[in-house]
Amino acid sequence: MDQQFTLTKEVRGECLIVTTSGYINNVGGEAIASECGAHFANGIQDVILNLEYSKVVNSIGMSYIIEIIERLQETGGTLVFTNLDAAVEKMLSIMGLFKYARKEATVADALSALGRKGVGHESR
Amino acid sequence: MLQETTQDLLCARIAMLQKATHALTRALTLKDFGAQFAGVVQEMFSPVDVHVLFRPEGSVWWQPLMSGNAESGGGALPPVTDEPTPECVVRELPSGVAVSQRLSDGAAFRFYCIRDSAMTGDADLDVITLRLLAYFFDTSYHELQTRKKRKELVFSLNHRLLQLNSLIDTGIEVTKLEARESPQRLALERAAALTNASAGRVRVLRGDLLREEVCFPEGANVAPGWVTKSRIEAEFVFGEETYQFELYNKESRDGVEQFDATDHLLLDALVRQVHASLENRYLHTQALEKQRLEQDLLVAASIQEKILPAKLPDIPGYDIAGINIPSKSVGGDYYDCIPLADGRCALIMADVAGKGIPAALLVSSLHAYLRAYLESGIPLVDLVRRLNQVIYTASTDDKFITAFVAILTPETGTIESVSAGHNPVYCMRADGTVQELNAGGIALGMLEMDFPYQGEITVIDKGEGVLLYTDGIPEAADATMELYESHVPLKEFLLQHRHLSARQFIAGLIHDIRSFTGNAPQNDDITALYVVRSR
Repeated sequence: MDQQFTLTKEVRGECLIVTTSGYINNVGGEAIASECGAHFANGIQDVILNLEYSKVVNSIGMSYIIEIIERLQETGGTLVFTNLDAAVEKMLSIMGLFKYARKEATVADALSALGRKGVGHESR
Repeated sequence: MLQETTQDLLCARIAMLQKATHALTRALTLKDFGAQFAGVVQEMFSPVDVHVLFRPEGSVWWQPLMSGNAESGGGALPPVTDEPTPECVVRELPSGVAVSQRLSDGAAFRFYCIRDSAMTGDADLDVITLRLLAYFFDTSYHELQTRKKRKELVFSLNHRLLQLNSLIDTGIEVTKLEARESPQRLALERAAALTNASAGRVRVLRGDLLREEVCFPEGANVAPGWVTKSRIEAEFVFGEETYQFELYNKESRDGVEQFDATDHLLLDALVRQVHASLENRYLHTQALEKQRLEQDLLVAASIQEKILPAKLPDIPGYDIAGINIPSKSVGGDYYDCIPLADGRCALIMADVAGKGIPAALLVSSLHAYLRAYLESGIPLVDLVRRLNQVIYTASTDDKFITAFVAILTPETGTIESVSAGHNPVYCMRADGTVQELNAGGIALGMLEMDFPYQGEITVIDKGEGVLLYTDGIPEAADATMELYESHVPLKEFLLQHRHLSARQFIAGLIHDIRSFTGNAPQNDDITALYVVRSR
């Protein structure tokens, strides 16, 4: 079955920017976690998760995102959500994720916010 | 001396354990936990290799949490057949030692310390340390499980809250959607997300005909033949269409599982919201249409009210009365009696095909053109011919007017008339006969061609009169759909009541029609104009 989930990534300094498209379910969540996991070993400190093209997230997808947050907490890193659809934002809020992760309007805002704590912005 | 050394070593190992506790209890997964634990063993004994195995409760298979270091290549482990017990079992092996223990939740763990020589040279100290490690594993594992359960509980509670919240939000959102937006698409997305379904589909069927199909995720292949491991469905019927909602393959971190009772409840609730939304949309549309029609009728009634004569003129030597009773849906009946500048008088009766504003506007046009042409003094047949042309131009294809136009010369009682496809006008004679006036031509606006109309002239004497009417009178029907004309032919009524004044005649006619139709609804306008020569 075509899940229609796609993911693109970009590394800026110690920050990984992941942009998703489609349903964040088991498949989508695992893909995000796997991508982040691969970069943690390379010294990635922060993750920006751009959900502009993902309007639906289920709890399995969310459990993977929580794992990423926990992993970042271990190393003092931060997860920043950006471009959130109102329904997704409310969902993340109810699930309590904003206690441990941030949200910004855009990726540029997130980079700027993370920049204040010393994240480089140059492309790798 | 040896005792002091042993004590120091034991203290050092305990200190190592305490130090490692923090890291171990913060492990996120069992795999991480195994790796951390292997690191502790490695630090303590510096063995060639460490293997950590785990067996979940109820399972017979051991799964590796840490399969040796990269240098050793993680070779085959020596066989150990001991069933783990709540008490730690330390088994000496030719290549090292194996430690097994059943954990507090029924699971079990075993770790191998592969060595090429004695660890410390103090076997008792090693055994004590290994037992301590096993205890350490058990308590840290217990802590990990407790933390995991607490997290799962919080997650589960939040998820339930999310489901409830989303259910309420979806109910509100589907009612706010624009008419062009699909409530079933939104509900399907929400249902899939809230139940952790991999995919879903809504099909709208009219009989066997598929009218609409929505899949989630968009483009998902849920065609027949696609393997589904779990599935739930709900449906409702709205009008002639059946809305079928299906969700497929409930996801978990361990694969696909069966949908549970809560999933059924959620899907049913969301589907009911879509049903309610569609019904509300339908009722809203109906209400708007009703409102538009009512507005339409008010405007039409207002136009008609302005056109119909509020009071008929006094014609010396003549008794004249008229009536118009519009049906519920305002129609296009029109009558008038217009005194002309030369002392003559025009008598008009007309009926527009159709109802509402279009009919009222056409009557308005007829009224305006008629007055203009009457004042111009052109011959009556030419007047009607011109009316035909202008009404044809002013009306749509399905609109036309039947009309009877007459010019009465009061002094002589001469009536010149032309009928444009209208009901025959009855001329009541003093000898008790009724003459029909129906010379003319086609209805106004029916054909574009310059159609010739034929006129006729008749004269009425004292006591004689003419009755102009629309088809709402002969075609008035009772509850059994019997027509008034078949009950009491209008001609007969006219003869029977010819001695009444014009006003009394009209009142009597309406009373008779009402008595006949009873409670049956009035389907068409009732209009009549009665003119009697009194001297």
